[in-house]
Amino acid sequence: MATRRSFIAGMLATGVVAKPTWANAGSPDYLSAARTSDGRFVLCGLRIDGSIAFQLPLPARGHAAAAHPKYPEAVAFARRPGTYAVVLDCTNGRLKARLEAPTGRHFYGHGTYSKDGDLLFTSENEFEAARGRVGVWDVRKDYARVGEFSSGGIGPHDVKLKPDGQTLVVANGGIETHPATGRTKLNLPTMRSNLSFLQLDGALIERVELGAQHQRNSIRHLAVSGEGVVAFAMQWQGDIGENLPLLGTYRRDTGSTELFEEASVRKMQGYLGSIAIGARANQVAVTSPRSGVVQVFGPAGLLEAPLVDVCGIAIAGHDFIVTTGEGLVRTPADGDIRYDLAWDNHLVAI
Amino acid sequence: MRSFLVATLIAAWAVPALSDEPDVAVIVEQHILPRYELLSMEASELSATAATDCAPDNANLITAYHEAFDAWVGVSHLRFGPSEQEDRAFALAFWPDPRGSTPKALNALIRAEDPVVLNEEDFRAISIAARGFYALEFLLFDPQFTKAEIADYHCQLVRAVATDIAHNASAILVGWKGGYGDLMVNTGNNTYRTSKEAAQQIFTALMTGLEFTSQTRLGRPLGTFDRPRPNRAEARRSERSLRHVLLSLAATRELADFISPGNEDLARAFGIALQRAESLDDPVFANVIDPRERFNIEVLQQNIDAIRAILAEDVGPLIGITAGFNSLDGD
Repeated sequence: MATRRSFIAGMLATGVVAKPTWANAGSPDYLSAARTSDGRFVLCGLRIDGSIAFQLPLPARGHAAAAHPKYPEAVAFARRPGTYAVVLDCTNGRLKARLEAPTGRHFYGHGTYSKDGDLLFTSENEFEAARGRVGVWDVRKDYARVGEFSSGGIGPHDVKLKPDGQTLVVANGGIETHPATGRTKLNLPTMRSNLSFLQLDGALIERVELGAQHQRNSIRHLAVSGEGVVAFAMQWQGDIGENLPLLGTYRRDTGSTELFEEASVRKMQGYLGSIAIGARANQVAVTSPRSGVVQVFGPAGLLEAPLVDVCGIAIAGHDFIVTTGEGLVRTPADGDIRYDLAWDNHLVAI
Repeated sequence: MRSFLVATLIAAWAVPALSDEPDVAVIVEQHILPRYELLSMEASELSATAATDCAPDNANLITAYHEAFDAWVGVSHLRFGPSEQEDRAFALAFWPDPRGSTPKALNALIRAEDPVVLNEEDFRAISIAARGFYALEFLLFDPQFTKAEIADYHCQLVRAVATDIAHNASAILVGWKGGYGDLMVNTGNNTYRTSKEAAQQIFTALMTGLEFTSQTRLGRPLGTFDRPRPNRAEARRSERSLRHVLLSLAATRELADFISPGNEDLARAFGIALQRAESLDDPVFANVIDPRERFNIEVLQQNIDAIRAILAEDVGPLIGITAGFNSLDGD
């Protein structure tokens, strides 16, 4: 019979030390960056009831974050055209790693982990060549840069992993920018946005473009259902008089695209901020901070509600949870909770 | 789902009553229409002058080019409605051009002596990179084109570009006079449901126009401190870079005064920016490479951003534009 000492020694030898989990960080269900009332920037863990699990300082305004699938660590990206991202230990706020974009690249503000959590993929701009890249970082080697490949287009923004764990989906917004001119859009007359499906080694599986009338429709944000349906939210770069839909879904198995007419340029002021999809793809929700509107497309049709400066949205059970720039967290079961914080663009489910 | 909606409806947000909404009819009649009329007139003058004498050393043609281009810059902030239909504004003004598409497209036409220049309608179907004021500038001012070996084809191309400019300028004016102006003034239609929506469109155009001047007209040549980019200055071949900044500031000041009449903060901020621009004495922003002189151009950029801050923080809320944390982020 093993003694207690030999049992522990055996555990250490095989590496089965109880590693911290998200429970050690207060069991958050979501991540969101925010600005505090005194102008500092923080990364927060939020629970489904709207309570805050942790609040950790960030060096500057964040955009999106990505949560490690197993361990309580999160990567927070600076807003584009930021050149760094920080990986925080969410149990104590310590900096675990700092990602520096290689020379000639900047981050676009989104990233996703591989299913096993060993790799991190980030959307990047190789700006002199105006090529979209996906950077690959090895989590096991303290987030060392281990590779990169084409994103399949210009201006990649959101990047998500399909539930098979084998396919990346990239929203190539199509818009060329250069850090010297900030966020100035350099190629609107010729831009083309696409959805690119890539293997984890970068091989292009499929590229999806919308019709010519969508030439100025920039695919920015993505949500993927448990069955692999990809919902995409767009931002319109043309005249507001052209009333095209800004929301669509794409199914790779059937190759079918569905557009949602009511999420229109007019209604949503040409701008969707965030998107979420139900696990069985039977409901899709989008926000527009410009028009201050949340739309939920579900089995009961379209449900729509006004909410000032709404942007972050994520799935919460069979419903959705949203955040606003005015500090509100609107939960399905626990009502509204208001914080003295300005919640940033994205609410990311862990 | 139900709980979500109930919670949302309880907190439904009411739009406050507006008292300071700008007078869209006055803006259309006194700012937009006169400026597009001027553009249309100058553009047809340009086309007529090119038809008479298309040589790059024709002083009348150069004058007509400058006057028409001035008129374009005076409306370049009004990027909505007829200017965006059929990509007319992009066909008039393909800039910035980070990939150098304009000289490439022009060279391709010249190499092939493409007969597309002989037919107006065919010409309208070619790449917008080879059309408009920035293409004409290459043809009239860049040695690789002005010293063209095939003078006849060069001449036909100049005429085709000038004719196309006149066509687009006229089409935009027709669009405004033939209905779009009415849609903005007599709201309650499918384009503008309320006068607030029309006012918001105009406000957005003003903000975007100032942003373009700051980030692109100034930002492109400024580049970074370590890597300034004087060759990226707008219309530098005809020495119009600073002129565009002055003209667009004057045009946006006029519009800002219509939107917020008698706003002293706004008037002061425009005054500071214009004074700074007038004092630069650097028509093509060549000084971006000189650390001391460069500073003045950077300050001008900040002066313009200060105008935008007043508009966003003080004027926008009065006409129901929410200056939210997320709604202004644009990402």
